[in-house]
Amino acid sequence: METFLQQLVNGLTVGSIYALIALGYTMVYGILKLINFAHGDLAVLGAFIGLTVITGLAGAGGAPANWIVIVAFVLAVLVVAIAGVLLEFTAYRPLRHAHRLSAVVSALGASMFIENGIMLIWSPQTLTFPEGIMPETTFHYGSVVISATQLFIVAISFVLMLALYLYVNKTRFGTAIRASAIDQDAARLMGINVNKVIVSVFVLGPALGAIGGLFIGVYYRQAVFDMGWIYGLNAFIAAIIGGIGNIPGAMIGGLLLGLFSSLAGGYISSTWQQAIVFGLLILILLVRPTGILGERVAEKV
Amino acid sequence: MNTTTLRRAGGILWVVGLMVPLAASNNWISILSIFAIYAVVALSQDVVLGRAGMYDMGHAVYFGIGAYTTAVLNTQFGVPILWTMPIAVVVSAAFGIILSAPIVKLRGDYLLVATIGFNEIFRMAMVNNVGGITGGPDGIFGIGVPSLFGYPIMSQGGMYLINWVLLGVVLVLMNNLDKSRLGRVFRYLKEDELAATTLGVNARYYKILAFALGAGIAGAAGTLFASQLATVSPSAFIFMESVTLFAIVIVGGQASIPGVLLGTVLMFVVPQVFRELAEYRYLVFGLAMIVVMVLRPQGIWPRRSRPE
Amino acid sequence: MTTNDNALLSLENIGISFGGLRAVDALDLTVKKGQIVGLIGPNGAGKTTVFNMITGVYKPTDGVVRWKGEAISGLPPYKIAQRGILRTFQTIRLFTGMSVLENVLAGQHMRTKQTWFAGLLATPAQRREEKALRKECMDILERLNLAHVAHEVATSLPYGIQRRVEMARTLAASPELLILDEPAAGLNDNESAELNKTILDIRDSGVTVLLVEHDMNVVMNVTDHIVVISFGRKIAEGGPEAIRTNPDVIEAYLGKDDDDDDEELSA
Repeated sequence: METFLQQLVNGLTVGSIYALIALGYTMVYGILKLINFAHGDLAVLGAFIGLTVITGLAGAGGAPANWIVIVAFVLAVLVVAIAGVLLEFTAYRPLRHAHRLSAVVSALGASMFIENGIMLIWSPQTLTFPEGIMPETTFHYGSVVISATQLFIVAISFVLMLALYLYVNKTRFGTAIRASAIDQDAARLMGINVNKVIVSVFVLGPALGAIGGLFIGVYYRQAVFDMGWIYGLNAFIAAIIGGIGNIPGAMIGGLLLGLFSSLAGGYISSTWQQAIVFGLLILILLVRPTGILGERVAEKV
Repeated sequence: MNTTTLRRAGGILWVVGLMVPLAASNNWISILSIFAIYAVVALSQDVVLGRAGMYDMGHAVYFGIGAYTTAVLNTQFGVPILWTMPIAVVVSAAFGIILSAPIVKLRGDYLLVATIGFNEIFRMAMVNNVGGITGGPDGIFGIGVPSLFGYPIMSQGGMYLINWVLLGVVLVLMNNLDKSRLGRVFRYLKEDELAATTLGVNARYYKILAFALGAGIAGAAGTLFASQLATVSPSAFIFMESVTLFAIVIVGGQASIPGVLLGTVLMFVVPQVFRELAEYRYLVFGLAMIVVMVLRPQGIWPRRSRPE
Repeated sequence: MTTNDNALLSLENIGISFGGLRAVDALDLTVKKGQIVGLIGPNGAGKTTVFNMITGVYKPTDGVVRWKGEAISGLPPYKIAQRGILRTFQTIRLFTGMSVLENVLAGQHMRTKQTWFAGLLATPAQRREEKALRKECMDILERLNLAHVAHEVATSLPYGIQRRVEMARTLAASPELLILDEPAAGLNDNESAELNKTILDIRDSGVTVLLVEHDMNVVMNVTDHIVVISFGRKIAEGGPEAIRTNPDVIEAYLGKDDDDDDEELSA
């Protein structure tokens, strides 16, 4: 039972990270029907920026002060958000009216570019995060160990997801986002500035992704330039499981995927863990491709 | 340049290619040799993606299955390389059918993700040495060379010629495809599946057939690849390979033979030639992909809609 | 009701519900060989739904669709087509990027015996058949007065011509029954008159026709027999004259508060 609970805790933590990254995929797909293959790499960029800020400001020895960590997160979000907007502007906007596959290839190219950019700027090696970014405290319930880091990640993620949910559902601009996802042309005719909506989606998505990426670095205490592809793919799978284009779906999908992945790794096999996740994906695609909460994309009949 | 001229030019180029071993350096022979193999795989990807219009981003799987089939048959059972090719083709095609059957009904992007899933599951199965025959992450070594009429082909030039012949055969098949009912059916399905079904086209059958064909051809290339490198490992079918194949078709030009060949040159040959820039390779690649798509979304050498 | 001896298509007590909505109810419809039957009714009457039940897009929840006696309800569209029932689309679905000839060739898909590997290997038999197919298609194009545009990109042609191309494509499949979905939609008066002639020619060549249509110009001048439905049920059937003066029909149209329909009926 206690291994189960431990897996649950771990799974929830990883799931929160997946959820943060999945939101970026789902928001972009909802409006543009495009799989932003570069999104995972943007999240990883967040991790590296955060690392640089932390090691830069904290210098040698000792745990980084809290304010440094906060600055790291803020800068990571800022830089990645800007990168997201640039990405949309250069690689996707010119292809808005072209064949969808052209945008897919452009996205793949952007992914390669960002990933290798990270490698060249930072390092092809795995980089380690310093100790003490998060308080080292742990909580024990029986033999279940919950670290402060895990609590922190899950808590912040939930707050962010709640904030996004409220933003999208309760504010005017949020409604504009949802409207654009349902029918871009109609939204435009209603006076919604769809370009502004798209840009904001490329700010929000990457911003959340950056936080997720930095969480990866903080949690596992390491980052490597090419981890974007597997985290990105898993996050995308999470978005599909929840229902692509569906914001609450991405949140739920992320958490479920994290839990599933953790349990599969713990109980079945860690070598086959990723394969089992893919197996789940295929199963969902065959049985209920629109996901748990249903997809939200415009269908042009 | 109309298509007949193009076809003739292509034919002449191919014949000229046969003489490469006489004139070129070993380095170039080996580059062109690998080019031939990858061109075949790219053409096979085009059957599924460019012609039948299905978003297959896991095609490297079939290339790998062909390679592994040959590797196992040759190293474990002593089957001569060229005899393994038909078996590799059949095994790959069979997997093409098995893997595609459940997923061809899916909408474009979902199909895409499913193919990625299969690709990865297979790769992991190879890495984890399923069935004890795949050799794990290091793969299988010591694959032999092909032999013709009892004479083993040891030289670079000889291997090149075999690859070049396979390329020639596939080019002829693709050309025939263009002019046949099957080629038309693929186009109808890609264009407007609903309209096609109202004309009696059994969409599911042809979609699976497209996968089977694409897989079989990729398998044949896999055989020669395994023999050429004398080893085969899971790195033959990582996701990046599938992505590259996908990009070749779109960047080169869907359903366009010259386009796909050109795409193969850009994606495979150019990096080989500029090995020194190895570090920056993917950076430049990625940028190039974006630039080409933005400037020429229809691909570099798109298929011409030519009046029959 | 007359006997169904030479009935090609018969819908027997057809009904379908979508969720709580009864879209079509207790509908009987028979099309005899050689007829041109019109299915008309005000907007929302369920014509398209009936259409889709015949062509395999929907499966009726009640009743059965029979083709030459065989029950075909619920078969997938391609199997329906293989039995000789071909259809056109209201929105004209020609294959873009292809010439008129290539589009019409598509209609011949079912009639060729060419296997896929014969195509790949370009056997002499395959090549002969390809030539024969093209010749047959050109013949059809000539019959429909389209030979001069055979090599133009189909979707770049005027709407009226595209309609004819779409019909040529279905004719290439040698249909026994051709179902036309609002073939006059988007056509001007001249084009409508040409359409009438085309439909009559098609029937004269041995094809039975069922058409769904709003344009009374076409319906009144071309059909032998009309079935009128409203709110998913049949409210009248008979020859054009009888329908024109039928009070139930007039009420069904007038009841929609559409004065234009009244004028159309008396056109």
